Amino acid sequence: MPKEMDRRGFLKVLGVTGGGAAALSGCSSDSAEKLIPYLVPPDYQIPGVPTYYATTCRECPAGCGLHVKVREGRAVKVEGNPESPINRGALCARGQASLQGLYNPDRLRGPMARTADGEFEPISWDDAIARVTQALAGVDGDRMWFLTGNEAGSFDSLVNEWLAAVGSQSRVVYEPFGYEALRYASREIFGMDTVPEYRFADAEFVLSFGTDFLETWLNPVQYAREFAASHSYADGRMGRYVHVDARLGMTAFSADEWVAPTPGTEGLLAMAIANVVLRDHGENAPRDSSRLRALLDQYEPETVADRCGVPADRIRRLAEEFSAVPSLALAGGMGAQHDDAHSTAAAAHILNYVAGNVGRTVMFGADRDPAAGSTYRGLADLVDAMRDGQVGALFVHGANPAYASPQGTGFSEAMGQVGLKVPPDHDPMEQWNDFEPQAGTYLLQQPAMQPVFETRQTGDVLLQLAGAMGDAPPAQLSAANYKEYLQQRWRQIQRQLRDGSPFEDFWIESLRVGGVHREAPTRPVRVVGTASRVSVTGWSGLGDDFALIAYPSPALFDGRGANRPWLQELPDPVSKIAWSSWVELHPDTAERLGIAEGDVLEVSSAAGSVTAPAFLYPGISPNVVAMPIGQGHTAFGRYAENRGANVYHLLGSEPTAFAGLSHYTAVTIRNTGEHERLATNAGRSRQMGRGLSQSTTLLAITSGEDHPFHIEHAAEVPEHVERVLEEVQEAQTQETKRGNYAGEHPRWAMAVDLSRCTGCSACVTACHAENNIPTVGKELVQHGREMSWLRIERYFEGGGDEPVKVELLPMMCQHCERAPCEPVCPVFATYHTPDGLNAQIYNRCVGTRYCANNCPYKVRYFNWFDHQHEADAAYAWPDPLHMLLNPDVTVRSKGVMEKCTFCVQRVRSAQDQARLEGRDNLRDGEVRTACQQTCPSEALVFGDLNDPDSAVSRLAASERGYHVLEGLNTAPGVTYLKKVRNVAEEA
Amino acid sequence: MATIAQPEPAVEHPSYAQVTRDIAATLGRPSRGYFILLGSVVTVLAVGAGALLYQIRMGLGVAGYTPPVMWGVYIATFVFWVGIAHSGTLISAILYLFRSAWRTSVYRTAEAMTVFAVMTAGLFPLIHVGRIWYAYWLIPYPNQRQLWVNFKSPLVWDLFAIGTYFTVSTVFLIVGLVPDVAAVREKFTGWRKKLYTITSLNWRGTDQQWRHYTRAYLYLAALATPLVLSVHSVVSWDFAMSIVPGWHATIFAPYFVAGAIYSGVAMVVTLLVPLRKVFHVEEYITVDHFENLAKLLLLTGMIVGYAYATEYFIAWYSGNPFERAAFWNRAFGEYWWASWTMIICNGVLPWMLWFRKVRRSIPALFLLSLFVNLGMWFERFVIIVVSLSFEYEPYAMGHYTPSWVEWAILAGSFAWFFMWFLLFAKNFPTISITEVKEIIPMPRKSQAKV
Amino acid sequence: MRKLILPVVKVLTVAVSGGALIYAVARVLPAQQTGQTSIGVVEVPVDVDTASLRGPVQPIFYRHDVHAGQYEMDCLYCHFAAEVSQSPGMPTISTCMGCHLIAGAANPEVQKLREAAAADTVVPWVEVHKLPPFVRFPHMRHVMSEAEMECQDCHGPVEEMPQVYQFASLKMGWCLDCHLEEEATTECTACHY
Repeated sequence: MPKEMDRRGFLKVLGVTGGGAAALSGCSSDSAEKLIPYLVPPDYQIPGVPTYYATTCRECPAGCGLHVKVREGRAVKVEGNPESPINRGALCARGQASLQGLYNPDRLRGPMARTADGEFEPISWDDAIARVTQALAGVDGDRMWFLTGNEAGSFDSLVNEWLAAVGSQSRVVYEPFGYEALRYASREIFGMDTVPEYRFADAEFVLSFGTDFLETWLNPVQYAREFAASHSYADGRMGRYVHVDARLGMTAFSADEWVAPTPGTEGLLAMAIANVVLRDHGENAPRDSSRLRALLDQYEPETVADRCGVPADRIRRLAEEFSAVPSLALAGGMGAQHDDAHSTAAAAHILNYVAGNVGRTVMFGADRDPAAGSTYRGLADLVDAMRDGQVGALFVHGANPAYASPQGTGFSEAMGQVGLKVPPDHDPMEQWNDFEPQAGTYLLQQPAMQPVFETRQTGDVLLQLAGAMGDAPPAQLSAANYKEYLQQRWRQIQRQLRDGSPFEDFWIESLRVGGVHREAPTRPVRVVGTASRVSVTGWSGLGDDFALIAYPSPALFDGRGANRPWLQELPDPVSKIAWSSWVELHPDTAERLGIAEGDVLEVSSAAGSVTAPAFLYPGISPNVVAMPIGQGHTAFGRYAENRGANVYHLLGSEPTAFAGLSHYTAVTIRNTGEHERLATNAGRSRQMGRGLSQSTTLLAITSGEDHPFHIEHAAEVPEHVERVLEEVQEAQTQETKRGNYAGEHPRWAMAVDLSRCTGCSACVTACHAENNIPTVGKELVQHGREMSWLRIERYFEGGGDEPVKVELLPMMCQHCERAPCEPVCPVFATYHTPDGLNAQIYNRCVGTRYCANNCPYKVRYFNWFDHQHEADAAYAWPDPLHMLLNPDVTVRSKGVMEKCTFCVQRVRSAQDQARLEGRDNLRDGEVRTACQQTCPSEALVFGDLNDPDSAVSRLAASERGYHVLEGLNTAPGVTYLKKVRNVAEEA
Repeated sequence: MATIAQPEPAVEHPSYAQVTRDIAATLGRPSRGYFILLGSVVTVLAVGAGALLYQIRMGLGVAGYTPPVMWGVYIATFVFWVGIAHSGTLISAILYLFRSAWRTSVYRTAEAMTVFAVMTAGLFPLIHVGRIWYAYWLIPYPNQRQLWVNFKSPLVWDLFAIGTYFTVSTVFLIVGLVPDVAAVREKFTGWRKKLYTITSLNWRGTDQQWRHYTRAYLYLAALATPLVLSVHSVVSWDFAMSIVPGWHATIFAPYFVAGAIYSGVAMVVTLLVPLRKVFHVEEYITVDHFENLAKLLLLTGMIVGYAYATEYFIAWYSGNPFERAAFWNRAFGEYWWASWTMIICNGVLPWMLWFRKVRRSIPALFLLSLFVNLGMWFERFVIIVVSLSFEYEPYAMGHYTPSWVEWAILAGSFAWFFMWFLLFAKNFPTISITEVKEIIPMPRKSQAKV
Repeated sequence: MRKLILPVVKVLTVAVSGGALIYAVARVLPAQQTGQTSIGVVEVPVDVDTASLRGPVQPIFYRHDVHAGQYEMDCLYCHFAAEVSQSPGMPTISTCMGCHLIAGAANPEVQKLREAAAADTVVPWVEVHKLPPFVRFPHMRHVMSEAEMECQDCHGPVEEMPQVYQFASLKMGWCLDCHLEEEATTECTACHY
């Protein structure tokens, strides 16, 4: 096993002041702590003051900019880089959890070699290099293969040059989410093998054919921001979004209308809509659209209607809406990638074209290529090559096809026949590197801290090998180390960008900002001849069985997030299930088959079968079942191993016409008779008419029809009683005023715009990261003992004949002015601070839990076990995970209550800073809570309610504003803004 | 109360000496059965203590708590024992003030029960808190940190209520014992004589001592009487003062007091039935005594039943949707079985006491008292757990099932209670010698000769 | 009974009073030690028996009385972060070597330092003033406060300590005394979060 990290070594990195793992013991303990000063003073690092390094997130190919917060030499938090053109300071849950990749206890801690008895033992790097060189000496160059993920950038070119140097062209890139269908369609329709740039901000009508553009699709954080900008309600206007898919995924929560066609027939629908658009509303259509006339005529609404189960007039209506405003049709989502997905994507392209969106909301030029030109077929070819022994040595870097491919592909078995070398690489946060997610965008990565383990960057290893392997390496590989190689390349980039400044300035500036970004010139495109060859057949696979949709998990992505406890603990936005897999099933279907929620089902396809508990979901077609990708690892660390089911085992291994992998397959389901208590934080999924998460329609709110919610009372409250109640309220308000909670002091408060919230749950993970919230694991979640201070409540509306809607409600401590939790605490462990916070003093808490009983919002969480002591089973931070603990936040011990503090540590440190600068008050926006900071759609706003000009005051005064459970007279500090849906008249 | 008959002991004019002898006999050498019983009780107690230590080491997670149900078996049991404690003071103090003579042969048992029940109840707040080692912070004591307790919190009131009650009822018990202990003092030698010498406070039975004694007893009775009402009112406010639907009700104080006396009397019956058999004191604790206790049961039972009805009525009448939902959930939700156990045991069964036959049948009463004890425990369980499991936020609702640790500690608490009671019953007169003597007629000369 | 109790009581009294005496002596002795090496003493004994001094024994016998007292160096010269950070900052070896490259070559303790510097290892100083982990003490807010606090207010006469010992109790009550006196905040979340 990997050896424990030597503590002294860690402390050397750590620097002064005992460090983060602040344990909440009794009063001052006598155990002698050591103070380890820095050996040499690192530049810009003052103990106790955080330093921020700009770098790039490599959790998915989107390439969001990061600011790594470093305290005493440890990276303790990642935040979005506000200067990044992609994420503009926001971050998704996966990005937030990237720290747990850096500190993952199951990371390879150094080079290892297999001993005689098959065990692994750590070896020195020199030894490792020697062994590899020796091993490679026996292999002739053209039999060396290199398999990586999407590494667009310097590392990519290094690998290619290295392979060239040894005389091999055998380079394979595998990204499980390769968007083959979309790229194929672009080729067919516009003759270019790329993914266009989608401008959500300019699209007033979004029509998505099964793309999860708020979850994993291409560039979710940027899309979320731009979508929110154009779609969320603001002064009487908002965009409209219609989602077409057999499954209502998280992205579709934001949809104003959900169209559920027969699974796999979205393409036909798109063609029919395009047909109507071109015929009846063709004013925006480019002149050469006429070439598509004949093609589109084959898809009459009437003929298509019965095939995909959507009435013709609805198709017409959609067509009309689509052509009325600048619109955007999306297709090619991995969750909708069946074997006809390429023609679906083509149909969407055509639809955009005839509606005149190409060049308006769909841009070519800044070509985004999420898979670096790779396809699933490429992997299949590699496997064949391995099978018939053409592969002498295979390097694998940043790819895990053994997991993320169907068993039928046979990658694992084939790999058994190859001498495999996996040099333990640096984590992205420890290394020099760069990344080019799209043309014109060059992002830099710099090491934010010293390596945690004895790892070495693969780039350096390759350069060393190039040096070590016999004859002198070619010029471009002569760089002393990878950083030098990187800088060579950036000199070229600087030349390309015609930047005249001295390289050092250019380099430093790029490091500061996190890279350089130039708007790539957009290229006008026209439909090419092959376009007219498109023929949409729809997915053929569905027989009488169920259609299985294997969709990307918004938290675990393609499975690479499965070893991050934060992501495992994160309740899935749709099912709210954590730490496990599940099968989504329509309640009617379940009733028909006599399946209850939690019954363990066996799902079998031609390729294989897996078992998982059933989750009854009204947002899925009755003849469809869905399972998330991401669980079911056989290796990959303690958090991922033997957990849930690997859906890839159900998928056919035969590459599709577009060289991709079909995520649809026909399955049968069987009730195994076993039952499992779902690991979910959702007690009940219906609001019981209590108006917790409120929504209205654009029509209602603009026509003044929208009335404040009143929970129905059997008897009308008499007028004189009303008066008494008001007096009581007034008296209570005066009471709270006396503590000077108004006036000189700020009143910290938050506004949550439900029109912007997408349910992505990035805030939840950010809260975990900022506030040292332990991950409790599956068993405790099953008992409702999750510790997350912030939960996204997900309520179902409708179902049956009613259209299904999903209402969201981010629920954190409401910091009530008249908090029910405060008077009942016998020891003042919870009380109201002068600046309007509902404080929780952990070290005063005795643990009577009265406060939690009396909290109507149920946002107080109790430490049932000890998560802070290694000795305890519930220990949440196995070495070196404890290094990411926030030194400014106390780690709570067993037996104390905790809850959202509005990031009081940030408030207090900002106040300290202000005082040092001689200011008494903070500026609006000077303090941003962790959840607000990371929210991609800017749904959360924090600030001072006593400042009339603060953003939060303005929002709190909005006509959509309301308080949850207003009738309880708790005067919460959190104001929710009603969700507004842009519902079409007919729908 | 005056209506209640005041039976004399059925003995045909026993002499004072005989009374003393008979009752002192109960303090005789314990049988093997007694030791077996005591042994098993202590074993159960040990198991409970073990479970508690395990819980302290691991954290409260080993109990079955499932948020939002943050209070469970422990608090339910706490309230249960506080309730049990009540009848003692009622019988000894209130009935004393009402001069109802029939109490004489049962009140000692009731008082002892009170003290031990409070001792048991007092443990549970400690068992329940997350950091038992800091529980003393609930006591207001001046400290350099200038930290104080929150007198707004009903839990602090609780502390005082229980504390006061324990002190007063203990004093009351001891004072009541003094003349009796003096009476048996002479009959024993060895350590027991020492014990009685100390506890009889050098009682010699002089007129002056009697005068002071009766006064003191009267004042104590007067002092204890309001506690019968206050203590459980305060306990009820732990719930009534909160905003939990199903807790937040003005009826709680009287409702709890009635329930407490109800359960207390039931427990007295449960204890007396075996006790009179074992100690052969049937002459002193007669069927008439049981009938009077039964009447008390009937009265309080009716009040409790009425309270149940009122709760449901108010929930409906208020039109408050949360209250309505909560009570609908009680009757027909996941915990319907608990609610119906409570309603049947406490609301329905006592109606049988309208029949004289039942009131005078000791086996029937014993059985009934067991049901009432069960029902009253479930009442607390329903009020606490079921209300908490179904509050304002549907998303945050949850289902709680107690774990083995909680059951073990519950069993342990009974063991703890019975251990004390067994020790007491064998070492102190469980029937008041003096007061029994007070109510038997002066012996005539003829017998005096004997 | 009586016969048994009396001797026990006697023994106890003797034990307690004896213990108290020993304790008192133990408290007094180091005071004398520090007494003989106060400000102005030019000849500070080079090797003092560090074990007999108050305060934890440090890996290197660094003399605050020499540096801060005799040479009147400013605390902030070494504890450089105290004005800007919640943490005072510990001097890096390079800071020490700034002078000790030349100074005090003869001193065996300085030798230790140089060895450490040569071996490129850090010196594991023993923490003397230790707050419970649930307390935040922003040094800068105190050093820069209106109350014109001196380091000595909390750390005691460091310039007279050959070996630093914990001067104040660092208990909450001790903090509060000052906060109330100076009318500083007594808001719980100022220190606890």
